[in-house]
Amino acid sequence: MEPPKIWREKRGKYLAIGIECSDCMTKQFPFTENCTKCGSENVKEYKLATTGKILHFSIVTQTTDEMMSSTPYLIAIIELDDGVKITGQIVDCNLNEVKEGGDVRMVFRVLARNGTEGLIRYGYKFAPI
Amino acid sequence: MNKVGIVSYGSYVPRYRIKIEEIAKVWEEDPDEIKAQSQIHSKSVPGPDEDVATMAVESARNAISRWKGKENDIGAIYVGSESHPYAVKPTATIVAAALDVEKTLTAADLEFACKAGTAGMQMCFGLVKSKMISLGLAIGADSSQGRPRDPLEYTAGAGSAAFLIGSENIIAELEGTYSVTTDMPDFWRREGAVYPSHGVRFTGQPAYFKHTIDASKGLMEELGTKTSDYQHVIFHQPNAKFPQVAARMLGFSKEQVELGLICKQMGNAYSASSILGFANVLNHANPGDRILLTSYGSGAGSDSFSFTVTESINSIRPYKYDTQYYLNQIEYIEYGKYARFKGILR
Repeated sequence: MEPPKIWREKRGKYLAIGIECSDCMTKQFPFTENCTKCGSENVKEYKLATTGKILHFSIVTQTTDEMMSSTPYLIAIIELDDGVKITGQIVDCNLNEVKEGGDVRMVFRVLARNGTEGLIRYGYKFAPI
Repeated sequence: MNKVGIVSYGSYVPRYRIKIEEIAKVWEEDPDEIKAQSQIHSKSVPGPDEDVATMAVESARNAISRWKGKENDIGAIYVGSESHPYAVKPTATIVAAALDVEKTLTAADLEFACKAGTAGMQMCFGLVKSKMISLGLAIGADSSQGRPRDPLEYTAGAGSAAFLIGSENIIAELEGTYSVTTDMPDFWRREGAVYPSHGVRFTGQPAYFKHTIDASKGLMEELGTKTSDYQHVIFHQPNAKFPQVAARMLGFSKEQVELGLICKQMGNAYSASSILGFANVLNHANPGDRILLTSYGSGAGSDSFSFTVTESINSIRPYKYDTQYYLNQIEYIEYGKYARFKGILR
């Protein structure tokens, strides 16, 4: 991933910042200039809730080169306490013990390393509570 | 003179642990002898997606979460470590962004073997006391390296502790700080080298003990305090034996040193070692308690601090994700997985 893209996505990845539409009050992630529900440009930054529940999950064994060293890992759709649904990796768990409905909280982790000389990308993942 | 002290603090220790027996099995060494020497039974191991930046952020977020102030007032961030993820590109800027406190602040990464965390604390105390900033964040974090089969491999752990330093709503007021610094060839890692080297027994008497004791004594003499004035004392913990011997040499009791002695469960977290012990003491200390904290960093130097706990400590306790929470989160791993996590297997 190129430096400008990493820099542009920083607030979304580090802080899980999306938007709240001031017209229809919908909360969304990731950040966009317009509300994806009503199209309004009247949106403001919104920091997502940091805890939630696992709705669905899947174990990943085949992935991109930069993520292969982490396999097998677990990707889940999480419903945060503010109702926003978000996709994220579940860490600090035994793969066979994770359950739908399980409580998780946001943690800060390495998302990917570009070899041994490239940039390290950081961002949110989730850990069981 | 305006008061200065700790206003909040946070801890982080990775959940993975490897037992002394598991490492000793690989090298066909006697685990009982190693455990008797170090008094450590397991060490913490960062997960494959953890490094000093992630651990520093987790401890700093814990310091912010339990506190009721405004993080935007943070005017300085210092991250002390000997295992920063980048040789060039600061960890402190990643922490600032992850706390959403960019951009009107000063920040830097520090390195002084195992005492870079307390060096950052001293810098924040100075900046706050001189009113150049109202709030500073000092972090000590390490993902320490031990060469396979080296004695360090048994004890080199990982963790982070973060301290918010300010002059309002102080939970532990700084009474004084005193440092001792000399040029000491006891432990080193050359530029580009993966693993550190050390002077084996030379790391003890002229290095660890001389600096730790001189700094602690120097501070107590300067403040006019004696060992019995302190409820708790914390020293750097390369193993559990050294701090207990240092305590005995200074005249502290076993009870005074016990609460801060967390390396038995997680090994030596280098820049986070003594200050994670300090964080654990703060989790249990009562208002009015006096605490002596003395770090040690090879190369070499010691920073000693004297604190008095205030009534305000009850405003940020209890907190779920405290030191004990992380010490209780344990998944033991075998050497193969440890080798993969540490990048020994490539």
